[in-house]
Amino acid sequence: MDKKEFLKAVQACRRKMNIALFMEKTVSALSIGAAAGILFQAAAFFVPLYYAGLYAGLALFFAFLTAALISVVKRISMEQAALRMDSFGFEERIVTAHENLMKDGTLIALQRADAMRQLKAHGDRIKVPLFPEGKRLIVLVGLAVVLTGLAILPSKTKEYAKELHSLREEIKEKEDEVEEVVDALEQLAQEELTPEQQAEIQDMMESLQNSLSAYHQASSEEMAQAASEKLNYKYENIHTQLSAMAQSMQNSASVSGATVESMETMAQKLREMSGQELAAGNGSGKGQNGQNGKSGSGGESDGQGDGNGNGDGSGRGDGSGNGDGSGQGDGNGNGQGDGSGNGDGKGQGRGTGSSSNQHDYVSIPNAIADIGNLTGNAVDHDASAYFYAQNGLSWEGTHMSHEAVIGSYEQNAYEGIAAGKYPSGMEDIIKEYFSNFN
Amino acid sequence: MGELDSGRLQDPEYMAQQIAACETEIQKGIIGQREIIRQTMLAMLTGGNVLLEGMPGLGKTRLVSTIGKVFDLSFKRIQFTPDLMPSDVTGTNIIIKNEQGSAFSFERGPIFANLILADEINRATPKTQSALLEAMQEHTVTVGNDSHALEEPFFVLATQNPIENEGTYPLPEAQLDRFMFKILVRFPTKEELRGIVGLTEGTQAPVIEKKMDGRGLLAARELVGQIPIADAVMDYLLGIVMETHAANPHIREGASPRAAQALIRASRAKAFLEGRFNVSFQDVAEMSYPVLRHRIIPSFDAISEGIAEDDIIRAILEANGKV
Repeated sequence: MDKKEFLKAVQACRRKMNIALFMEKTVSALSIGAAAGILFQAAAFFVPLYYAGLYAGLALFFAFLTAALISVVKRISMEQAALRMDSFGFEERIVTAHENLMKDGTLIALQRADAMRQLKAHGDRIKVPLFPEGKRLIVLVGLAVVLTGLAILPSKTKEYAKELHSLREEIKEKEDEVEEVVDALEQLAQEELTPEQQAEIQDMMESLQNSLSAYHQASSEEMAQAASEKLNYKYENIHTQLSAMAQSMQNSASVSGATVESMETMAQKLREMSGQELAAGNGSGKGQNGQNGKSGSGGESDGQGDGNGNGDGSGRGDGSGNGDGSGQGDGNGNGQGDGSGNGDGKGQGRGTGSSSNQHDYVSIPNAIADIGNLTGNAVDHDASAYFYAQNGLSWEGTHMSHEAVIGSYEQNAYEGIAAGKYPSGMEDIIKEYFSNFN
Repeated sequence: MGELDSGRLQDPEYMAQQIAACETEIQKGIIGQREIIRQTMLAMLTGGNVLLEGMPGLGKTRLVSTIGKVFDLSFKRIQFTPDLMPSDVTGTNIIIKNEQGSAFSFERGPIFANLILADEINRATPKTQSALLEAMQEHTVTVGNDSHALEEPFFVLATQNPIENEGTYPLPEAQLDRFMFKILVRFPTKEELRGIVGLTEGTQAPVIEKKMDGRGLLAARELVGQIPIADAVMDYLLGIVMETHAANPHIREGASPRAAQALIRASRAKAFLEGRFNVSFQDVAEMSYPVLRHRIIPSFDAISEGIAEDDIIRAILEANGKV
């Protein structure tokens, strides 16, 4: 054996040790990554975690990356390889020979020759296992099986997480859409417009931006749909306002044709958007028009009424259509139902009170709790008591923020519109009423 | 094996074989005590001195005289007693009358030999004990204004009885540090004792042959100093010495840098004696006991818990791994 062969032997051992190190680190890191993945997947059973799978995958990926990085940083040197070889009974001959490979001297040469002789004679003793011990591999496989099982296993929370995710996606789209419209409106607000017109456009912009809050509060498909309808109404409203504004400016000498044209284009675009929304919104509803027929029953609380509706819808995105008559329809598409009816409503109400001081919340006293959507302890309503808190008088019971109360009413209103609960012609009034809050 | 081939004194393989042959020859005259023989040989190969601790009658004098025969070295035995004076060891100037008149002449003491057996060294007063210090460290003796070089190789083998401490003067740390090894001589086994009795009380005394001479021993010593030590082994060795200074509840004082030097030399000598030309972790670990056991001072806790120096060294070695 000469120096070259000696180095080759050490190099071979080093290569094996590096592979073994990589394998060991990878198994360890993947075990940790799989454990983290299991935690994510397990958490997805209790909390809506749409990206649990992605997080688990990322944990595994980063674990692998870390293992690779550690393997590179802590890669085995030739000296370490020589020492490892020595551990197979060579009594540090190899590491000493390797260190003094390029040195001269009688004893050094003798030592080198001795090391090479020993290596040649007993080189077969050196065995570097490439894979970690079986126990660790079994643990990794076990963790991988558990992780896969948890990922495959369905659950209600997972379904809810999916719904929530699609809702967020929708919200994101809406935000972008509204942002785009607001930007477009901002460009319209040029010097050519009168201050009144500019203020009007400014109001439109603010109104649109405010409508996003309804999306942000949405926690279900129904709420999102209601928010969508609200936005469509605003689009339509702004379209009408812009069209009117464009019409009024056509004869004005101070306004260029381009401005008028862009305003009309904008108005047209908003109309289209509004139409699309309607088509998209109604198209997805099964029996939407048939439900509209119920609007005849329109009476709040104890009111009675019969409504007729016709549920034939076209499914196109033009947003037109009427429904008259009774019945239910499994219609795909758009349509509005005009129902008629009478309602004799009687009801009772308790006020939610507020003092002249501005509260941070609305008190729902126990006395009216459990009525409708209000929650609390109606049985023990006599025990309601008032006290001073926040900025004024408060009642014992449930407390909600103003925004939540208005949002709740608004949502119910839009859901009612969608379900055709209100008499014909009232929808726009309701929508306008709630849009004023924003 | 015949006489030493003086033309091959620089041949490491040949010299290693010769030293191994010396060890075998010594074992003919000493039954058992292989570890003692081995460590004494190692001390001789590195030029160090040995402190033997054990009961009387374990063959210490026989060991030294056998070594003297095998290596063809002069041997003197000094029995240390409380009334032994330094000049009794080193020698003294005496007035000599001749034709020219009277003149001082240096009369050499028993220390002027290659091998010295300082028997029961702890029975002499510190003043006499310290007379050995210069000889052990510098290999010279100073009397009056004159320094006298001792003949090389020079080697002191001191003994002390661990039990009878009354009327003794324990060796101070500075002097203990001068001994390369402290070897614990244990009582022989029954079989060894049978061999010893047969050897000493029998009719035929073994014939011990000369295998080497002082020149050969010095040449071997030079070769031992050239044995390479890998960085990893050196780190391990220094780590062990440093560990004696780390926070250890069982150690009051750790080993000196001289301990590290002694450990290096002893490990090299062990490898050489085994016909190997590199130092292994095992060499260092095995040599740690005789090199360090008299250089670390156990704490009160260790003494009260009955933890010996060897236990402390074992714990350090185990903590350092490798072997």
